[in-house]
Amino acid sequence: MDGVLASILPLLRPDSKSKMSDPEAFRKKQVLFLRGDSEDEDERRPQLPPDDTSLAPADADPPASSADEAMQVDDELKSKETPVVTDNVEDVNNEPPETEELEAPKEPAKRKPNFFVDSDDEEEEKKPEELPLFPPLPQPSPPPRKKARLDPNEPTPPPIIRAAYLGEFIVDNAFATLSGKGNIKPGDTIHIMRDYPHDPRAPVIKEGSSSNTKNGKGMQQSKLEFTAKSSIKPMKKEKTAIMRFENTKRIEIGRFPPAVSEWMAKLIDLDVIHFQGCTVVDCPPKLRLGSHILLSIKVFIQPSAFKNHITIDDDAPRAAFQEDKETEGEKSLRARKAALLALFKTVGLRPNKSSALGKSAAQLQEDDMEKMVKMTNEPKTPDHMSSAEASDDEGVSGLTDAEDDVAVDEENDEEELTDNQLNVIYRKAQQNDQSMIEMEPPAEFALTLRGYQKQALHWMSSMELGTAGREVKSLHPLWEEYIFPPEPGDDGLIDLTLEEDNYFYFNPYSGELTLDFPRSERTCRGGILADGKLFIARLRRRAYVLSLSSLGMGKTIQMISLILTNRTYPPELEEADQELAAKNKKPLRLGNAFEVLGDRAPRKRTNSTLIIAPTSLLNQWETEIQRACEKGTLKTLVWHGSTRLDLEDALEDGEGVDVVITSYGVLGSEWSKQRRSRTNYRSSLFKTEWLRIVLDEAHHTKSRTSISARAVYDLSSKWRWALTGTPIVNRLEDLYSLLKFLDFTPWSSYSFFRSFITIPFTKRDPKAVEIVQVILENVLLRREKTMRDKNGKMIVELPEKEVAVDYLEFSDLERKIYDSIYGEVKSNFDRLNARGLIGKNYTHILAMIMKLRRAVLHPSLVTAKEAHDSQDSDDEIVEVKDVKSIALEEMIKRFASGDTKTGSSSTDKFAQAALKELAEQEEQECRICLTVKDDNVLIPECFHSCCKDCILSYLAKCRENKEVGNCPMCRRAPLKETDLLDVVRHKSDQSGPSNDDGDDGAEGSSSTDIVLRRNDFQSSTKLNALMQHLKRIRDQDPCFKAVVFSQFTSFLDLIEIVLKRDRFDYERFDGTMSIKQKKAAVDRFTASSRKPKIFVVSLKAGGVGLNLTTANHVFMMDCWWNAAVESQAVDRVHRIGQNKTVYVRQFLISRTIEGRILKIQKRKTAIVKEAFRGRGAGANQESLENLKIMFDDDDDDGVVEK
Amino acid sequence: MSLPKRIIKETERLVNDPAPGISAVPHDDNLRYFDVAITGPEGSPFEGGIFKLELFLPEEYPMSPPKVRFLTKIYHPNIDKLGRICLDILKEKWSPALQIRTVLLSVQALLSSPNPDDPLATDVAKHYKEDEKGAQNVSREWTRQYAS
Repeated sequence: MDGVLASILPLLRPDSKSKMSDPEAFRKKQVLFLRGDSEDEDERRPQLPPDDTSLAPADADPPASSADEAMQVDDELKSKETPVVTDNVEDVNNEPPETEELEAPKEPAKRKPNFFVDSDDEEEEKKPEELPLFPPLPQPSPPPRKKARLDPNEPTPPPIIRAAYLGEFIVDNAFATLSGKGNIKPGDTIHIMRDYPHDPRAPVIKEGSSSNTKNGKGMQQSKLEFTAKSSIKPMKKEKTAIMRFENTKRIEIGRFPPAVSEWMAKLIDLDVIHFQGCTVVDCPPKLRLGSHILLSIKVFIQPSAFKNHITIDDDAPRAAFQEDKETEGEKSLRARKAALLALFKTVGLRPNKSSALGKSAAQLQEDDMEKMVKMTNEPKTPDHMSSAEASDDEGVSGLTDAEDDVAVDEENDEEELTDNQLNVIYRKAQQNDQSMIEMEPPAEFALTLRGYQKQALHWMSSMELGTAGREVKSLHPLWEEYIFPPEPGDDGLIDLTLEEDNYFYFNPYSGELTLDFPRSERTCRGGILADGKLFIARLRRRAYVLSLSSLGMGKTIQMISLILTNRTYPPELEEADQELAAKNKKPLRLGNAFEVLGDRAPRKRTNSTLIIAPTSLLNQWETEIQRACEKGTLKTLVWHGSTRLDLEDALEDGEGVDVVITSYGVLGSEWSKQRRSRTNYRSSLFKTEWLRIVLDEAHHTKSRTSISARAVYDLSSKWRWALTGTPIVNRLEDLYSLLKFLDFTPWSSYSFFRSFITIPFTKRDPKAVEIVQVILENVLLRREKTMRDKNGKMIVELPEKEVAVDYLEFSDLERKIYDSIYGEVKSNFDRLNARGLIGKNYTHILAMIMKLRRAVLHPSLVTAKEAHDSQDSDDEIVEVKDVKSIALEEMIKRFASGDTKTGSSSTDKFAQAALKELAEQEEQECRICLTVKDDNVLIPECFHSCCKDCILSYLAKCRENKEVGNCPMCRRAPLKETDLLDVVRHKSDQSGPSNDDGDDGAEGSSSTDIVLRRNDFQSSTKLNALMQHLKRIRDQDPCFKAVVFSQFTSFLDLIEIVLKRDRFDYERFDGTMSIKQKKAAVDRFTASSRKPKIFVVSLKAGGVGLNLTTANHVFMMDCWWNAAVESQAVDRVHRIGQNKTVYVRQFLISRTIEGRILKIQKRKTAIVKEAFRGRGAGANQESLENLKIMFDDDDDDGVVEK
Repeated sequence: MSLPKRIIKETERLVNDPAPGISAVPHDDNLRYFDVAITGPEGSPFEGGIFKLELFLPEEYPMSPPKVRFLTKIYHPNIDKLGRICLDILKEKWSPALQIRTVLLSVQALLSSPNPDDPLATDVAKHYKEDEKGAQNVSREWTRQYAS
């Protein structure tokens, strides 16, 4: 057997098998080789000294016996193979616990490049607790696999190679760990040992007995066969990367320096290389501890190195916070890559050919690359810390789910993007957009596309059809070609015929090795269609839950036009695919972990498109499709809820369904179901190979570990599209998930993405942005409202938008109420702050801030909620409900008949005149402010009139001067605020609103109905301002429509009251309404009408998703932490379809908390992020900062302290 | 501090539609400060005179009355040596329904009908009470001397 081993060809490529003189012999050799490999493991175990490995050499069995024993155990091997692994796990568990090795039990399997254990097994072993989640996969038993691999009937056996010579290198500073003479001399063969200090079963070097006269100086040289089996517990690589060497008598001579041993150990652990024919070049005649020894090492690459044994460990349970971290698999890949790079450098192996990687990586100098690699290896302290912190939660969170992800992204601040950076990133991707070709949609398409939409259609269509057919012959951009160097002096063993193509390929980015030519291929047939805002900060995300839709650029329409354009998969593409598949049977890229599962049963082909959208948008898709194409052109099925049982039938039935629309929720649950199922249940979603998959609002999957993301990766289709308003929400990594879904190699490999984008970006390396630009250039089409076409016209001509912010002043009373609340909250805050308890009482403080924000809107919003001082305000509210209104006509009649309580007849006469004047004149100038206003009041008895503001402030002034309130015109006293009569005018061409219980009483005699009403409703500054504006608009445009946003539904209630008082028609929209009710409200509002209509909307419920272009006035009653949310709300009105100028007015009260909210809005990007989210986690530093702003009285706009 | 709409409107009206015998022009640098000229009412001892006054609109205007003062020396029982005017609407009887125009008309009316019973310049009031003719002559004399 040793003879066989010795004569194994250094390299044997699969396609050269035929060149072997005796295929049978070849096969046998191979079996032997493979067994030999595993024997090491078996023989090593019984032989190992129990604990101290450093003493091992003395006790080691003679090499010959080990070989014999190997023969003996050979037969047992087959049955033993799998149990071995479990044994090891147990062993590990028996070890004395070490503090840092808490994870140890999980680790063994991970880095185990055991020949016979493939990735499936690894997963199983790693997570025994997860076992029930997995469908029982047939355990591949090693011997059959071996046979299978050799079975000539198997279409493409994996490449079979031998350990191949890679090169030789000199270690000049190996150091002795023993002193004395005669242990070693130049020319001696040495054995290299991988040291496992904590493992009782340190590897034993098996010494081959074959002689090799070529290498040594006539000395007999032993072949060293060393394979570190990683089924032996792999240690923490950083700690145990010790490599020792021994002389032929098995006495340890010394160690390798850490610089070398680190990568050596790593590669040995991973079964990538082994060392053979290592000799001492020079050493001092008498060794001392630490003496330098010069060694020559020959490196051989193991066949297993070329195995695609790398899997991304996607299934490992990970708490959401770890999203940023790499999975174990990714980490190990990275380490392997670094070690390989170090090896290649050490042995002086240079790529024969490396293709230019776009404009990015190729330009990196080798040094840069190393730097990059080093960087990736550096322990990232923050990560470790956060994972340590977070580990408490692990048990709780268990499997990641989409919701948890929300919490995740806040970790790495430095990875966040500013608007500017995003701009830069997108700029390039949009460079050539103006000159793009347009494409007409097919005839069935019922709508007209805008210019930019036609361009998009052309782009999308060519993304699907264009590039795919072309066969690219060039080397994959990320791979490098290496030539196996001929082993010097081994001429007798080299098969010269192999030389011409003994290449191998290395991917310096992922660390993968292969013998197959990695073809540059574009697997991604699809892209990202994006539009809208650069930056939508996080708070918006929660709003997504309610509803979401495109930002008005017509992604939906564009996608429908594409669905109509490319309805089947063209046969020529099919051929190309098959060709490609045949050539590349074994996918080399990462991320195919799922295919193991997926490929078991062939997926059913269909020509249907699968659209995945947020639940709230499912119906919108359906209606849009119906609207956009001629009847019956596209059959649509919304696969959601209880109707979703017969998807397969629907697909197969007759002509089948053209479009299936489902939600992320359904997708996720189907996926989990399939995953948990023991009976190999496979959801028809995943069983089907779709023609096209469209992810609407694809940022739902931006967290690559979330269920929806993983489910999405697992879908199969010919074409893939992601629609999103925000391809990058706030971190570059957001893009990763999209690329992964699109399978846009190589970026769909996480370690690659991380090494080349995330990490450089955090290091402020501009290259990261450059790379992202290149990527986006290829897959992304992004449109913004503000973009211009080639003629310099805006691609979307939207009417003007005029935004005004009104800073209002509180009335004195409001100011008093507000200030007292503020004082209370502030002292509360100061007290907590002084005691350092803010973090703990975070929610409490947030509640107080909310109170302040309500106080700004209307005092009763605060007081009504407080039991102790609620008396007045409660009454107000109650009173408001039965608004007493007196018809003017009635009043005049009463006066005419003398039916008044007022005294003198002259007053009566004046009153009559005044009232007549009122009735006749449309407008009257207020005697105090000299302006014409709508909110006139009448002073009872004398019937002088003036505007409400003026009289109220006059009365306030009287009170201040301790005078009795009186009429400013005639000084009639006493006069109280509540005595005043509001004059409410209604144009008579509109019938009284049904929701007003007052009767107009006018018999159509006058052109204007005037109603007097007691001023018994406690209004507020903001409400007054709103009503003023509404009335003014009504005068100018009698059938205007306006949208009023507020965050507080309780304030919406008050707005409703004032609207009712002034007889405005309104509709309300808030989160408590059912979808049906909401839809009805929107329909009623958007229906054309000759009366003014007001839409009272809760910002959270209606800030996104609605299309309210029938309105052109927007009122923002308050401000939100995040400006993006506000502009998002405004976009409900200011979007495609709007043809009037949009007027936006925001009401703010000066010298209140609102000014500070604005301040926070302006801080950095949206620091706001979760700053005020009030999640259980408590407060971070930044939110505390924000809180301090809220209570910073040194501000200019701070509340005046009393 | 921006100027309230009311002040702007009042100023416009004063300039475009001045009350007979009254002119009020705001300063360029302070629109709340007016140079006022009132012609002496016919039939009064102040006839023929042009009296200069200053008028200032305080911050709270129109909730507080404007401040008005004669700059021209005048012999009047309700106007003292410093030009201060004793007029109820400039004090407790002020109402925001009043305006600059009405205030100045009131001042003009005060010239026609001095009210020695509610004096500010007590000596002048005494003179008016004891010898109205003589007092009026002094007023006329002062008007000729200082107000023309």
